[in-house]
Amino acid sequence: MADSPRSSEHLSSDVTRRSGPPELTSAQKLMVFVLSMTLFGLANIVTEVIPDLQVGPVTLKVSYLAFVPVVIAALFHPLYAALGAPLGEIVFVDLLMGDFSGIGELEGYLQMFLGIYVAGCLVRNPRSRAQLFAAGLTVVVIDKMLSAIVDIAKVWVGVDDAEFVPGLPQSILLLEGIGFAVALLISGLLFGALPAMALAPRLYGKIEPLLGMAPRDPRHPLPLAERGTGAFILLALFLSFVAMIAAFTSDIFGNFGVWEPDFIEQYGARFLWIGVSAALIVLVAAVVTVRFVAASRRGRAAQGRDTGTRSTAPEAPETPDTRAPEPRKTGAQNAGTRNAGTRNTGERE
Amino acid sequence: MRKERDGISVEWVKLELLRTAYATRGGMLAARDPRFVIGWYLIFAVVPWFTHNITVLAALFTVCAAAVVLSRVGPLILGLFVIGFVVESLYVLFAAWFFGGDLTTVLALVELTLKLATISLASMAAFVSLDPEKLSDGLLSLHAPAMLSFGVSYGYRMLPVLMEEFHTVVDGHRLRAAPLTDKGFLGWRAVVRTATTLVQAFYPLMLNTAKRTRTTVEALETKGFTYAAEHPDGRRIRLAHLRADRWDHLLIIGTLLLVAASFALGQAYPLHGGVR
Repeated sequence: MADSPRSSEHLSSDVTRRSGPPELTSAQKLMVFVLSMTLFGLANIVTEVIPDLQVGPVTLKVSYLAFVPVVIAALFHPLYAALGAPLGEIVFVDLLMGDFSGIGELEGYLQMFLGIYVAGCLVRNPRSRAQLFAAGLTVVVIDKMLSAIVDIAKVWVGVDDAEFVPGLPQSILLLEGIGFAVALLISGLLFGALPAMALAPRLYGKIEPLLGMAPRDPRHPLPLAERGTGAFILLALFLSFVAMIAAFTSDIFGNFGVWEPDFIEQYGARFLWIGVSAALIVLVAAVVTVRFVAASRRGRAAQGRDTGTRSTAPEAPETPDTRAPEPRKTGAQNAGTRNAGTRNTGERE
Repeated sequence: MRKERDGISVEWVKLELLRTAYATRGGMLAARDPRFVIGWYLIFAVVPWFTHNITVLAALFTVCAAAVVLSRVGPLILGLFVIGFVVESLYVLFAAWFFGGDLTTVLALVELTLKLATISLASMAAFVSLDPEKLSDGLLSLHAPAMLSFGVSYGYRMLPVLMEEFHTVVDGHRLRAAPLTDKGFLGWRAVVRTATTLVQAFYPLMLNTAKRTRTTVEALETKGFTYAAEHPDGRRIRLAHLRADRWDHLLIIGTLLLVAASFALGQAYPLHGGVR
């Protein structure tokens, strides 16, 4: 590590920076990440224990304690809080309790990540209760809205011509709507917005020094504009790809449905087509994967060779996801923060 | 009566959770290379979406159910899964009937349920028996972010400490609070009290965890943790223990044969859901 966790803490306002709070060191990013992961994981274990209440078709249950990630995202950097929290759910509840559901986890991670990130960006002043209220609801709205869309997409893709099956679209929509409303009320309002409004202002200024950071200053908001757009474009691209693939596959299946009557006498034909197209898809996927892996191997090897020559290693990003939107520190900036840090180390605790 | 039940239940739940997390797991897939187990799971996660033929889906479902039995999935998880699926399908069925569905609706629902159930069973068979750290190594070798594997290791070690601490904090709250004189209609006062205690318990917990996190992360970074996680050499050393033997290859080949057999069966006896 080029810089110790203490080096750039308390970049006080006398350091002339036009906008934004002090940059986090990589250790501090890791701290926010781990804190968010641990707390949300624990909160999820607690929710696992809370029993559900079944009233007719409506299940009254606490999906998650949304106030925990909201508070962390409001007080610290939203990006690292948002990256950590859903991982906590996966690690603590799904992996340790043996409930890991493979690809489904990825979908849940992305939904939750987006929800917490947007909610954390909404909060500019962690003491403003109105902003915390909005953030608490936003997490659940985004997460549950996306999951409802995914559920409906599953029905649409999974069932042949689902929109023509009598009664199916309405009933799925009805159940999803009920689930959404219940989640918004219980997880969003009672265990999201209201506790966040109570806790975040009380923790503000107390919890940040424990991680060696300055509290978020409303006068120096996070430079989310440029950072946010980068991440957001990436995410939008990814989501539209997913949507495209979903639409594409359902198109394929639709076509098979149309073709089928022509081939119904030729017994092997349909089977053959499915087999060939499946093999083709797998082949294309395999080729793309191998190329990607090979490219990244080459990249890593190059990186490995580089490291010897690099005099000041720039901060290493925690995850590949964060790499893109992250503005790299230049050497000069690094030196500047280190100087500023040494002046102020006496302030800490 | 209340005292007894509380004393038993909280302690019992805690122990039960820890047992679920740390019990030694075994079974068919537990000894296999995690990368091949993930591959095995992916086959069953992808294939069901390629067909609308209920016979094929039923055959795939049977294969996955057999795998679940061979993987010795616990009765608790299996029971929750079965109840969840039955209840969910009943509600959709009821709602569909309410909106005027008929036999095609039922068949469509059977198709959907079979698809989702097959995928869930496959994930249970693959991941319940697998040791979490092994699974995270497998994911790491498939180029998952290094943070995932760190999270698993960290969570695996911190879980008992965290649960103990949470329990202590909640007990402290209960000791300091006056007991409820009146539980209210349907015990709503007790529910509100529990919920507020839960939320309030997170205040000290967040502060304590923040402190502990800083200690951990500083200790890790002193040893160059982030750098080692990103560096190819560190990755290679960590993943060196992953080795595939011929049983792993046999697993994948056998699975592919079974999938092919399912499709052949579906070809011989086709049964279609949806609108023809």
